[in-house]
Amino acid sequence: MRVLPLAYVIALGAGLGLVSARYAVAERPWFGRAQIGAWTTWPNSGARDIDPYMRAYLARGVHLPLGAGEGLELIAKEDDAGQALDARCRYLVSGTTPPARGWSLDVADLAGRSLQSTVERASFTDAEIVRGERGGMRIVLATAPEAGNWLPLPAGGRFQLRLRLYDTPISSHAGELRPSALPRIARIDCR
Amino acid sequence: MSAADNIGALPTIAGQSRPRRWLSRLGSGLLRLVLLTLAGLVLAGIVHIVTVLRVPALASGDAATVYAALGMNGRAELVTPPPAGLPAMLDTDPNSVAAVCSYDLAAGPLRVVARTSSLPLGLTVHRRGGGVAYAITDRAAIRGNLEFVVMTQEQLDERLANDEEGETSRELRVISPSLQGLVVARVIVRRSFDRSEAEALATGVACSLAD
Repeated sequence: MRVLPLAYVIALGAGLGLVSARYAVAERPWFGRAQIGAWTTWPNSGARDIDPYMRAYLARGVHLPLGAGEGLELIAKEDDAGQALDARCRYLVSGTTPPARGWSLDVADLAGRSLQSTVERASFTDAEIVRGERGGMRIVLATAPEAGNWLPLPAGGRFQLRLRLYDTPISSHAGELRPSALPRIARIDCR
Repeated sequence: MSAADNIGALPTIAGQSRPRRWLSRLGSGLLRLVLLTLAGLVLAGIVHIVTVLRVPALASGDAATVYAALGMNGRAELVTPPPAGLPAMLDTDPNSVAAVCSYDLAAGPLRVVARTSSLPLGLTVHRRGGGVAYAITDRAAIRGNLEFVVMTQEQLDERLANDEEGETSRELRVISPSLQGLVVARVIVRRSFDRSEAEALATGVACSLAD
């Protein structure tokens, strides 16, 4: 009669422990993340003192993250109003970027894969955009072509924006950034 | 009170104690279930922590394992796109190119030499099982060259012991926490026409035994 309680404890412990560990490392973990406005980053993902959850996440796939001194990656899945980025809408990405040797902005699906588009343009770098009089960035994300800096979106579905800052002094204290230091993501309209 | 009265009272007491005993058994059963569940939750916590910590050591699909055969000829090999039959890197920047050199420090320390150009270059040491051990950019280059030696802590101790006393070593020594890993050369493609130059710069990184 003692076998049944022992089996219950082992089944509960092993089952719950393995399932919760699998879910905890299936995506980028909550631990160590910094939320700056609409942008999320994991400043320690490329540092020596990486947390075990992020390390396990990186070990489960072919990930080669930016090193802490090499750059910083920021991801946005929502706009500034907190609404999920939807390809049926048009968005304006504007403002400034923190000091960096260079940056790139690209559109990807929720799994992080670059979107296949009929137009040969899935991203912008700091050297490629047309700037306004004040030097800030102004990029429109839409399915249909737009004047100026235009990043094409797929016909529908959710997507994410990835901003990479290369050789930036803010890598180590990204969590202290203010939202105004990063580009704003505003929804213009939706179909 | 007569004996007949006592005899008549016995079935009533027995009838009252039976549900009480049943309730008591139910209570102790529930308490046992709660205690067993708590024990299961504690075990789940231990299993969770051990699993998360063991994932890097057991991983067979991490970048260092998947690209273990690349760069063994002394030159970094492009992984954007990867050679035929190998999986592509996840979360890549379409505006960068990357080339990798796999290393196994069991054979000795690894010397990494890169030349720089006008395109931003970053070199990172990725240990097996995920995680960056070291990162440097071309800002640290001396006369257009970026050079460092990757080694284990034991190999560093041995090197320090062999250093001439009073002589300063000009070698930049980087410690890898694991014997196996990858050296990644990443070059930013700031304009699309820079891609071929970026690829040449990334694949121009030399990785060879230091001694």
